[in-house]
Amino acid sequence: MLYLTIILGCILGAIVGMRGPIIPYTYSSYLAIAIIAAMDSVFGGISAVIKKNFDLKIFLSGFFGNAILSILLTYLGEKLNVDIYLAAIIVFVGRMFMNLGVIRRYYVEKWFGKISKRSNEENTKN
Amino acid sequence: MKEKLSLTIIIGFTAFIFTMVMFTQFKTIEQTDITAIETMRETELREELARIKAEYEEVETKLNDTENKIDEYENQMKNEEDSTKILEKELEEAKMYLGYTNVIGQGIEITLIDSNRSIESYDLINLVNELKIAGAEAISINDNRIVSTTEIVDIINKYIMINGKRISGPYIIKAIGDQKYLESGITLKNGYIDEMKANGKSISYEKKDEIIINAYDGNIEMQYSSAVE
Repeated sequence: MLYLTIILGCILGAIVGMRGPIIPYTYSSYLAIAIIAAMDSVFGGISAVIKKNFDLKIFLSGFFGNAILSILLTYLGEKLNVDIYLAAIIVFVGRMFMNLGVIRRYYVEKWFGKISKRSNEENTKN
Repeated sequence: MKEKLSLTIIIGFTAFIFTMVMFTQFKTIEQTDITAIETMRETELREELARIKAEYEEVETKLNDTENKIDEYENQMKNEEDSTKILEKELEEAKMYLGYTNVIGQGIEITLIDSNRSIESYDLINLVNELKIAGAEAISINDNRIVSTTEIVDIINKYIMINGKRISGPYIIKAIGDQKYLESGITLKNGYIDEMKANGKSISYEKKDEIIINAYDGNIEMQYSSAVE
């Protein structure tokens, strides 16, 4: 049910996004930072589910809050003539890799655990 | 159960927003022409502006140079026009000296009446010489212009040939020049007229304020001569 809703949301989003208007190129850099922040939140959420400490409030506040905050920081950086968005990208992408590492470890362990379990069972049968 | 449903909806909605924003961004990046001026960032625009300014200055200096050159050429052209005028004037004068133009002016008209073919070429040659000494600028005999190549010769005591044409009396010699000098040149004591009269030849002259002498109608060609460098 949950996965179905996610897939449905993704498909709908893709359709609306492709049909929708394009934004001015100047603002697309802000949007890119917001997307990176949102992706970070998504992977963070998945890793939280794996760690079994997922909280919807924290996920949503991270998802939207980080996106908005990163846009504001980029804007501020532009006003100050400092490339703050570079720092934001480094932090978000770094965290994304960390969370991806957590996810990968979980699934690898799960997979190999299954195989070893099965082989153990077969050993006991024999 | 209710809690799980709301969670599902919120997660789905989040996914919707996420993908929507992402695809909007994809589309924007794909459809934007980064070289167009509207999509350039401020720094890029500044660089472009500086480049265009530099180019403009370069072109302006070139324009100035070209304008100066044009001025120079125009001046040169003026000078050339002036020199062309001078040359034309000189050419005109040279033609006049050569006898290639009809000329008009004060002068003297001498008539030699040829009775019994008593007038020989020497009489005419002497007369021409006298007139030349007296400063004649243009001379013609029976409307044959005397030029530098003109010959005055007897042809078997029948005719006199001038400029390759046979002429016969009466001989009318026109000369343009200072009337007084011309007159005194031939009326000197024991001068030309006296001599002619002493030889029994009939001669008369008339001063005229307006004498027209026609141009030489032949061609002066240099076949064997060329200018020494």
